[in-house]
Amino acid sequence: MLAELINPYHFQVASFILINIILGISVYITLSTGQLSLANAGFMGIGAYTSALLTIHFDLPIVLGIIAGALVAALLGILIGIPTLRLQGVYLAIVTLGFGEVIRVVFINWESLTKGSVGISGIPHIGREILRVLKGFGFDPKVIGLQNNQFIFLSIFLLLFIITIGVIWFFRRQHRSRVGRAFAAIKLDEKAAESMGINITYYKVLAFAQGALLSGFAGALYAHVLAYISPADFAYHRAVEILIFVVFGGSEVIWGPIFGAFFLTLMPEVLRFISEYRYMIYGLIIIILMAVRPQGLIDVNLLNWVKTKGKKRGQKHGTGNTKSM
Amino acid sequence: MKMKKLFQFSVLSSMLILSACSGGGEQAAGEKEGKDGSGGAVKADIGVVSYISGPGAAYGEAITSGLKLAQKEINAKGEVDINLVIEDSAGKQDQALTAAQKLINSENVTAIIGPTLSTEMNVVGPEADLSGVPIMGTSTTADGIPQIGDYVFRNSIPEALAIPASMKKAIEKYDAKKVAILYGNDDVFTKSGFDTMKEAAEDMGLEVLTIEQFQKGQSDYNAQLTKIKGLNPDLILCSALYNEGAVIMDQARKMGIDVPFVGGNGFNSPEVIEIAGDAADGLIVATPWYGEKEDPKVKEFVSNFEKEYGKKPDQFAAQAYDALYIMAEALKNAGEADRDALRDALAEVKDFKGILGNFSFDEEGDVVMDPTVLVIEDGAFKIFE
Amino acid sequence: MLIEQLINGITLGSIYAIVALGFTLVFGVLGIINMAHGEIFMFGAFIGVIVTTSLQLPLWLGFLAAILITAIMGYMLERFALRPLRSKQGVSHLAPLISTIGVSILLENLSHHLFGAGNHPFRASFAEINFQIGSITIYLVQIVIFVISVILMMGLSFWLGKTKAGKALRATAENLETASLLGVDTKRMITMTVIIASAMGGIAGILVGMAFNSVTPQMGLSMGLKGLAIIILGGMGNVKGAMAGGLILGLAETFIVVYGDSGYRDAIAFLAIIVILLIRPQGLFGQKIST
Repeated sequence: MLAELINPYHFQVASFILINIILGISVYITLSTGQLSLANAGFMGIGAYTSALLTIHFDLPIVLGIIAGALVAALLGILIGIPTLRLQGVYLAIVTLGFGEVIRVVFINWESLTKGSVGISGIPHIGREILRVLKGFGFDPKVIGLQNNQFIFLSIFLLLFIITIGVIWFFRRQHRSRVGRAFAAIKLDEKAAESMGINITYYKVLAFAQGALLSGFAGALYAHVLAYISPADFAYHRAVEILIFVVFGGSEVIWGPIFGAFFLTLMPEVLRFISEYRYMIYGLIIIILMAVRPQGLIDVNLLNWVKTKGKKRGQKHGTGNTKSM
Repeated sequence: MKMKKLFQFSVLSSMLILSACSGGGEQAAGEKEGKDGSGGAVKADIGVVSYISGPGAAYGEAITSGLKLAQKEINAKGEVDINLVIEDSAGKQDQALTAAQKLINSENVTAIIGPTLSTEMNVVGPEADLSGVPIMGTSTTADGIPQIGDYVFRNSIPEALAIPASMKKAIEKYDAKKVAILYGNDDVFTKSGFDTMKEAAEDMGLEVLTIEQFQKGQSDYNAQLTKIKGLNPDLILCSALYNEGAVIMDQARKMGIDVPFVGGNGFNSPEVIEIAGDAADGLIVATPWYGEKEDPKVKEFVSNFEKEYGKKPDQFAAQAYDALYIMAEALKNAGEADRDALRDALAEVKDFKGILGNFSFDEEGDVVMDPTVLVIEDGAFKIFE
Repeated sequence: MLIEQLINGITLGSIYAIVALGFTLVFGVLGIINMAHGEIFMFGAFIGVIVTTSLQLPLWLGFLAAILITAIMGYMLERFALRPLRSKQGVSHLAPLISTIGVSILLENLSHHLFGAGNHPFRASFAEINFQIGSITIYLVQIVIFVISVILMMGLSFWLGKTKAGKALRATAENLETASLLGVDTKRMITMTVIIASAMGGIAGILVGMAFNSVTPQMGLSMGLKGLAIIILGGMGNVKGAMAGGLILGLAETFIVVYGDSGYRDAIAFLAIIVILLIRPQGLFGQKIST
């Protein structure tokens, strides 16, 4: 019975949605201090390559590989962040764009390590590894009435789902904390924030590093879900795609990138027949949204409206949670 | 080292178990399709994953055109009734994978043709193999594709076969000793073509004067070509897609480089002549496909294709066309639209007479075939002697 | 060989410079980085191909059509992607950047549908004219490109510095509100800037088509990113800097092939961006950033 409900195709799409949500949040976090980073595709690549190479060459467990990937990306984020964050607005965007491209060019040319543009195949696959480990304990998916591949994709999905919930939970908490208030103050007015005693550099680098950490993390997950990566996965187009998740969904609240990633990943699957026009539609969406609703579809007002509506009906869901979003 | 071996072994064995299990389980899905194998035509859904939108859309278009033409002819014969389910991959691995998942699990196709790029096949192949769905690449030429698993096949000639063949003939004819290599380093197709070229050049004892690279979107190759010109090579080995390759030849001829070019698989297209004109003369490529061949099958295909789509078929269309015929042949032999039966029938295909020539699979599912070496002379492809 | 490479570098650099002039003009006046400039450049090249190769019309008509159509595209860009943002209060300074990224995505994919993904050859007999000096072949196009880039640069400098319209433009760049108080029609000035910049992109496009005999939908992105690097190299909004920056990048890209590793050719532009912005944010030739 359960078996009929589980279609690996649906779970595959759901897994990509979850990874894209994490990527969307990574841009959102950096943007919440008013800085636009276009290097996140590059950081994603760093995370993916680090984890892939470690698990392949050093037989590291996937979990450690992913953590290492995220940490290396974060470290690079700090190294790049400290000197670049003196730059404002568009200058920062351009420098990060440059970094992203340099990272890609290095992946292409450092052939002894990355195999160049041919890419790395045979990366351990999260789902297959989980199944292998469970089988070692004498577990067989047939016990719960599932085929092996159904089980594999179910387990990937559940794992990613838990991770994504955790990420969202953490950043919502952070948003309401001292750190979140400092971010918001910096975004609103840097000079005023500084005069209030907020350590601007520290918080900006923190936001930048968090963005790098998250994209590296998402990249590592991507590598182990797809089992194959190549430099072309982390090019300019990916950076723009991630940016669109945030711009479309909304950059003011965390639900923005979540909704953006969800909708824009699902849309081409549902409307496969328009896939040829997808990128044209993306372009139009950006132009129209910037002109009409530059804050994205979901903003504070919308959330407040939803909340009051919910309260009127006497539902208690989300009390207190949305307050500070 | 010992640990690694052990690890590899355990992964390998677990994969084997996996593929065996899932293969058995998925059977039910396939069988629903065409149980009326007795008497009537074998009905089957064949999935297609192709590069239909984006920069490489021209390849996907050629492939799907070839497939549709073959489908029409095959269904008209009445032995096999094939329904094509075509999905776009946009040339991206993740989209190719979801497209394949959809075909395997939602559409319950009996087999898959595609995807277009080797990078995509590297992702889709293992998944199809684990799910027990036969998959055949028609344009994936990189090393190691059929070795992914028992269910993975291809009918496209691998670079490792084509490039050395053309190099060997060119070297014999021109008595070449010194070569220069030029390739695109940010594209999988051209990069793996280069790897083969370099290896072949070393095997043949050639002196490689220089290795130059270029990147996508550059339209100025003068700097690389001027450097190559200064070194006076006997031959230029060029692994480029035809769009770039044609421009490279044009710029090379303009600056006075008149030595022959040996191209990789991506370089082989009538478009080269369209784009570069006279400058395309002297390009040597190895190909399974030769449109001017004195073979009634080939002539019929070319004229039908031109009637249907208003242009000459290229290698990609021809390979796709043959691929569906091979599928149909295997389906007929299998007698039912069952994934495992089809796989076994595919592996048995031998001496299939297609428009590309005599075709067989080896035990790994790779191509056994002799490529034809062609050269462009006076604005047309001719057989290179 | 060195002289030939020098010519290659200067030709490439001149083209970069013309692209960068359009970039720097828009930035100088509006303070906006126009990410769609590369795609407008690409459209200019395609118009050139259609007019001269497909329709078999003379080259000057190709130039005219390319300038006209890219100018119209510039107007549309300003009207639909930039103007709505200016009238709005409290819009982030990143909005125009993102909006022009949107335009660039739209145009790149539109060109796939309009012109196909393949490469289009540029057949103009003019592009074949060449002469020999010793062992070196020089094409007339190469000289024309260099001359046009110099003329455009000098013309632009003169126009900005000496004419009334140019002064009004600089006033607009200095301070939008003050300029409009002083009676400058700032709206017209801004529209004109974007139109002129786009037309210059169109000219660059058709020149690239002639010089390299290659026009593809992908050329816009690559050229756009290079142009971005150049205006940072030369100083944002600096006309002479754009010219110098273009030549430097063109020569650097050529000579990394001669003496270095051609695989890193594309990285030069981006490394230049990073190094310049971190060490000398005003660019090689700029003064300190005023605002």
